[in-house]
Amino acid sequence: MISRILLATLITCSFAVRLAASPEEAQQRLQTAVDEVLAVADRVANRATMAESLRPTLQKHVNFETMTRRAVGLGWKTFSPAQQKQAIQLFSTLIIRSYSSKFTPGEYPVINYQKAQTPAAGRVDVPTSMVYKGSRYSVTYRMEQDSGWRIADVVIEGVSLVANYRSQLDAQYKKGGAEAVLGSLSKSVSRSQ
Amino acid sequence: MKIIILRLMLSGAVALAAACSTLKSPTAEATVKTEAPQVTQGKTAAAPAATDELDDYAEVAAFDPLEPLNRIMFKMNDCLYLVVFRPVSKGYQCVLPKPVRKGIDNAFDNVKYPVRFVNSSLQGKFKRAGQETGKFLVNSLGGLGGIFRVSDKVPDLVNVPSEDLGQTLAKWGVGHGPFIVLPLLGPSSARETVGLAGDYVLNPVNWGFFWHGGGDWEHDWTMIPPAANTLRSLPGQLDIYDAATKEAVDPYISARSAFIQNRAEATRE
Repeated sequence: MISRILLATLITCSFAVRLAASPEEAQQRLQTAVDEVLAVADRVANRATMAESLRPTLQKHVNFETMTRRAVGLGWKTFSPAQQKQAIQLFSTLIIRSYSSKFTPGEYPVINYQKAQTPAAGRVDVPTSMVYKGSRYSVTYRMEQDSGWRIADVVIEGVSLVANYRSQLDAQYKKGGAEAVLGSLSKSVSRSQ
Repeated sequence: MKIIILRLMLSGAVALAAACSTLKSPTAEATVKTEAPQVTQGKTAAAPAATDELDDYAEVAAFDPLEPLNRIMFKMNDCLYLVVFRPVSKGYQCVLPKPVRKGIDNAFDNVKYPVRFVNSSLQGKFKRAGQETGKFLVNSLGGLGGIFRVSDKVPDLVNVPSEDLGQTLAKWGVGHGPFIVLPLLGPSSARETVGLAGDYVLNPVNWGFFWHGGGDWEHDWTMIPPAANTLRSLPGQLDIYDAATKEAVDPYISARSAFIQNRAEATRE
C-alpha cells in the first residue's frame, strides 16, 4: 500500500517537475536556436547568400507549417494538399528572406532574455530585449511544442509577424480564394529585392 | 498677399515635417517590457477563426472607411519617400558618421522630455513621470545635454516605456476612430493625429517656431530645430517603413496592421 502511494506521489511529482520544466526548456531551446543562427550569420560574409545559408538552421527551429497555416487563416482548410505545400514553401522563403535581410555582417545583437510565460499548455512566450546597431527593440518569441519546441511567431515591438500576414492574406483569400493567396505570395517572392 | 500665402504654406510644411519626427519610433526610444506582452493581437469578439487549438489570431481589427483615399495617399507618400526622403536620408547618413548621428538622436530624444513627462502624469503614472525626470537630469547633466545616454547605466532608468498623447487618449477610453494615412507622415488614425498635434506643441524643438507664429522671415532660425529634428529622424522612420512594407504581400494592409498592433502594445505598456 505504502509503496503504491509512494509510486503515485513519485509519478505526480515527476509530472509536476516536467510541467514546471517546460518554460525553461522552451527558453533553452530558443537560446540554442538564436545562437546557432547568429553563428551561421557570422560566417557569411556575403549578404546575397545570407538567406540560403540561414535556411537549414531556420527550418530546423521555426515551425513554418504552423506559421503558414495561421497566416492564411480559415481559408487554409479549403487548400488542397498540393496548394498547402506550395503555400508553406512560398511563405517560408518570404520569411527567411525578410529575416536574413536584417543582418549586417560585423554587427552583433545583444539579447537579454526575460522570464518566460506560459499562456497555454504547449505554448511558451519568451520576451527579450535586443540591442542591435545601437537601438533597442522588444522582441517576443512564441514557442510551441509539437515534436519539440519550435518558434511559431515573432512579435517585434508589439507587431506579430503571423497576425500581420494574416490580415494581408485573409484579404487575398476573400478576393479570390486559394489561387489569389498563392498568386500574391509568389508575386512577393519573385519581386526583386 | 502672395507672401502671406507663401509663408503659410512654408510654415505648414515645416510643422508637418516636424510632427513627422514625433512618430513613434522603436529605434529612437528604448521601450522594453518587463513582463511578457500579450502575443495575441487584435482579437475580436466576433471571430471564431482558428486553424488549430493554439491559434488565437484573428484579423487585426481596423476601422478603415476611407480605404480608397488612404491607398492613394499611401502610394503618393511612397513615391515621395523614394524621390525626396530617401536621397536626403542617405545624404545625411553619408555626411555624418554613425556615432555622431546617434548622439544627435539622443539629444533630440532627451529634449522631448516634456512630452513623456506630461503624458505619464496625465495617465496617473507618476512613478514613470519621476523616472523620466531622473532620465532627463542624468542625461542633460551627465551626458552633455543628452548627447550621451548615460541613464542606460542606471538600472532603474533603462526600461522606461515612453508615453505620448495618443496613448493618454487611449488610456482615457478614446478609440482610434477611422484609420488615416496622413500626407508625408503615413499611417495614423483620428485619435493619433490629435495626439501628434498635441505632442508637437509639447516638444520644445518646436517652441521657437510656435512662439513666432511660424514663417516670420525675421525669425527664420526658428525653423532650424524642427527641420533638423525631421532630418535626423528620417533614417529611423524609413527603416520602420521598410520593415513593415518591404516583404509584404499588400504593403498598405501590412503597414496598417503594424501601426494598429504597435499602438495597442504601446498603450498596454
